[in-house]
Amino acid sequence: MEILHIENLTFTYPKTKKPAVENIDLKINSGEFTVICGQSGCGKTTLLKLLKKELAPSGEKSGKIFYGGVLQEEIPDKTSASEIGYVLQNPDSQIVTDKVWHELAFGLENLGMPTEVIRRRVGEMASYFGIQDMFRKKTDELSGGQKQLLNLASVMVMQPKILILDEPTSRLDPIAAADFISTLQKLNRELGLTVIIAEHRLEEVFPIADKAVVMDGGRIIADGAPREIGGKLSEINKEHPMFFGLPSAVRIYNALGIEDNCPLTVREGRDFLEKHFSPEAETEMPTEYVHSETVAVEMKNIWFRYEKDLPDILRGTSLKVYGGEIYCILGGNGAGKTTALNVISGLDKAYRGKIIINGKQIKDYKGNSLYRKLLALLPQEPQTVFIKDSVREDLSDMLEILEIPKAEREKKIAEISQKLGITELLDKHPYDLSGGEQQKCAIAKILMSEPKILLLDEPTKGLDAFSKLNLKTLLCGLKQEGLTIIMVTHDVEFAGETADRCALFFDGEILSADIPERFFSENNFYTTASNRMARGLWKYAVTCGQVVEKCKKSKESKGEAR
Amino acid sequence: MKKDLLAILGIILIIAVILNGTEIQSVDEYYLTHIDDITPESKTVFITIRCDTILNNLGDLDSNLLEFVPLDGVILPKTEYVLRNGDTVFDILDRAVRYNKIQMEYQGAKQNSFGSVYIQGINFLYEFSCGPLSGWMYRVDGEFPNYGCSKYELKDGQNIEWIYTCDLGQDVGAEWMNNMGGEEK
Amino acid sequence: MKAFSDYHPLVLLVYFLSILIVAMFVNNPVIGIFALIGGILFCAMLSKRSETAGNLGFYIPLFFMVAITNPLFSHNGVTPLFFLNGNPVTAEAFAYGIAIAVTVTGVMMWCKCYSAVMTSDKFLYLFGKAIPKLSLVLSMALRFIPMFKRQMHKVSRAQKSMGLYSSKSFIDKIKSTMRVFMAMLSWSLENSIETSASMKARGYGLKGRTNFSLFRFYPRDGILLSVCAVLLGVTVAGIITGDTAFYYYPRISELTLTPFSVTVYTAFGILSFLPFMIEVKEALKWKYCISKI
Repeated sequence: MEILHIENLTFTYPKTKKPAVENIDLKINSGEFTVICGQSGCGKTTLLKLLKKELAPSGEKSGKIFYGGVLQEEIPDKTSASEIGYVLQNPDSQIVTDKVWHELAFGLENLGMPTEVIRRRVGEMASYFGIQDMFRKKTDELSGGQKQLLNLASVMVMQPKILILDEPTSRLDPIAAADFISTLQKLNRELGLTVIIAEHRLEEVFPIADKAVVMDGGRIIADGAPREIGGKLSEINKEHPMFFGLPSAVRIYNALGIEDNCPLTVREGRDFLEKHFSPEAETEMPTEYVHSETVAVEMKNIWFRYEKDLPDILRGTSLKVYGGEIYCILGGNGAGKTTALNVISGLDKAYRGKIIINGKQIKDYKGNSLYRKLLALLPQEPQTVFIKDSVREDLSDMLEILEIPKAEREKKIAEISQKLGITELLDKHPYDLSGGEQQKCAIAKILMSEPKILLLDEPTKGLDAFSKLNLKTLLCGLKQEGLTIIMVTHDVEFAGETADRCALFFDGEILSADIPERFFSENNFYTTASNRMARGLWKYAVTCGQVVEKCKKSKESKGEAR
Repeated sequence: MKKDLLAILGIILIIAVILNGTEIQSVDEYYLTHIDDITPESKTVFITIRCDTILNNLGDLDSNLLEFVPLDGVILPKTEYVLRNGDTVFDILDRAVRYNKIQMEYQGAKQNSFGSVYIQGINFLYEFSCGPLSGWMYRVDGEFPNYGCSKYELKDGQNIEWIYTCDLGQDVGAEWMNNMGGEEK
Repeated sequence: MKAFSDYHPLVLLVYFLSILIVAMFVNNPVIGIFALIGGILFCAMLSKRSETAGNLGFYIPLFFMVAITNPLFSHNGVTPLFFLNGNPVTAEAFAYGIAIAVTVTGVMMWCKCYSAVMTSDKFLYLFGKAIPKLSLVLSMALRFIPMFKRQMHKVSRAQKSMGLYSSKSFIDKIKSTMRVFMAMLSWSLENSIETSASMKARGYGLKGRTNFSLFRFYPRDGILLSVCAVLLGVTVAGIITGDTAFYYYPRISELTLTPFSVTVYTAFGILSFLPFMIEVKEALKWKYCISKI
């Protein structure tokens, strides 16, 4: 049964010429799981907001949206509020009240339900979502993943028929994101809930979706079952930025151009590779790692805890980062990776051990000398870097702090914005930028102090695949200029592609620092999807690119053998 | 935070003690007052302390104070005392109550806005003890002076009366209180 | 230990108000001491042992300080002990000082218990009944404040690592804090836009909004409330008839023990020990249940 029907929808924001979404025709059946993918700024969010009339932005709109056969404008307010659920991106700002139970009840209160009904429904929902134990907690005490689950639950309690989600996992770590997606899948499978989700991390969502809609420039460029779309995408445009966001299996399939069904999951990808390629006896050993002689950052037996009575976060952590390398610290949630970074950056002080930065102990850097031309930290939320009303003001503010004469400021800003490609963004408000743009501007701001060591905390959080690619290029460029980069991330794929060396942080210690090829091939679980698919054939293939390269080589050698 | 509060309280207490001075006398020392003998050439004044208005307003009196109200309303009958040079009404009162071991509590001149000693209670009868308009007043030669008792310097032969009022002076014939009230309105 | 705090907020509010008002305005030593002991016992049940020890270190000196302060300033009383600057320091003033100290520490104990038992959601619930909008606003504020604080902490750390709090001078620190604060204002605005979207999406603004709460009025709440009402009624009757009237000045009055006044003291004693008794009963019940298992 058709539940949602969009007919020739076009929408233009006020004061802009180009429509944000254009000629959208889309039919969604009841119980379908639809994923909408596309680069940031392709019109996903606008389209989703138009589907919920309470959130529809103001602007010029033409075309029709039918919900269960009824025109959107004619749906009673109560029905619209309860039957179309909407979950936004930011887990924090969506929460309205201070207690979990109140948050769950909020929607039902608005609908004017009597206490007894609310009590039952809230209880039911809390049990279904397995959040009974946090029922009486304060919303502020929850983790990011729990918050987003609460947001989902407090929408579900209104018993919606359609659930619309706008990049719900972009601010979550991979484990919480996977949890969230599997809850969505459960809702879809068990309750027959219609789900429409916009996502740019597609590794988990793409395989479970019934339907994938690809958007670009406000239009739908492809629409169909994920497998079809995966197979078709290379026909549309192989270089399309969207391409980088797809699951590794789809990307490898498309790069090889072999006639077969498109694999979606790791399992299918492995079967696909093993069907077409045979294992080679002799595998190329990765080359020895060559590093510079200088040591940029060294931690020697660092012990740290936040308060006297709290457990240690860092227990004798030691690490050595050489000058000019990209060093990546991976690890689970709450392991203390961020704390380690804060200790290196001098924001937190270790109570035992030594930190040596550029050959000098951290405590010997007096005042702000550490943050001048030496070390800079990009925090997890790039938003926190900005304190002015436009990017330009922020950059010049930074220069003012650095006591650079006024005359030189403009030149410096122009220089750096050219380098990072943010010239068009300079006059925008930092909060109006997309995640990727914000990050670039934040990096521009911290680069103003001309650091030699750059610390990045979860730089890929909330970025779409294309922005990640940009970030990788940017980091490699900075490395060429001689910067040392230490980053902390959950993103194994990004680490595999970008890092010179990776290390696992566990139980307050740094374990097994090594080059990505060796690091990931030694790990069974904590490794990239590509490596999981290809490890039976080529142990040291970590990234998609490496797998594709090996496949091509193998094909050539086979061809020669024949 | 809590410890700070304690410390602050303690400091305030110590300051208060220091400001008040620390002249400690035993009970006997305190009541051991030298009264000059009346000689023919010495100047003298008369002092009376009375609370007969209370007898008319017993209903307003705090019940536990009944025992301190003499049956005839006279706490100190008219007595003659030697007037020393520069003696004020307060000095005479102070000497008289000490000599007769009558309880008296006053607020020092530095502690109130009048700049004069204020008599809070005599013989355990305090201001407000008998209704909200009650308190001690004094009269010299039948007139109610409009200022504090430690500012009134006495002359030879004057007659001081300390009278307890239950109605802001009206029941004892203090007209000025009435006038002042009128002016204020 | 939370048997008492599980009662309905209305019962708790009525209880705390009656104890506090009686303890604050009644001068009788028996009532004061009952209130103090009841408060101490309940407080001890609510807090951990280490905390109780720490509290003793605060309240005992406070008690003596308050007790000593009174005779310095009040000179009434028929039994002078010595004279300080011409003013008597009397035994009655000392006694009254101790009585004030009993009242003050008792009231503080009960306020401590109040804040531990009457959490924000209970308070909100009670006032939400009267003004539904206000309770939502308060709830949103309670949600927003910790979030704001956390974000501010994050921003100021981010700025610190970029060398914003550059010198150690005080003015510079204030200026930097101001900058962060200004940035936080636009963050709040941004945040509230999304919050309001989330509210609208969930139907806020529809007519006929109801107020949900987790609290239910059980029969046991009714029982406790009526017990409180009876005990309070007897106490108040005692106060009004003057059977419990007590004076410290000028002579400490004798405690009259008529059958009625004894009834009043017993009633108030039970009232002030009520939470403690409930906690103990619950604890014993548990112990008994566990030993049976």
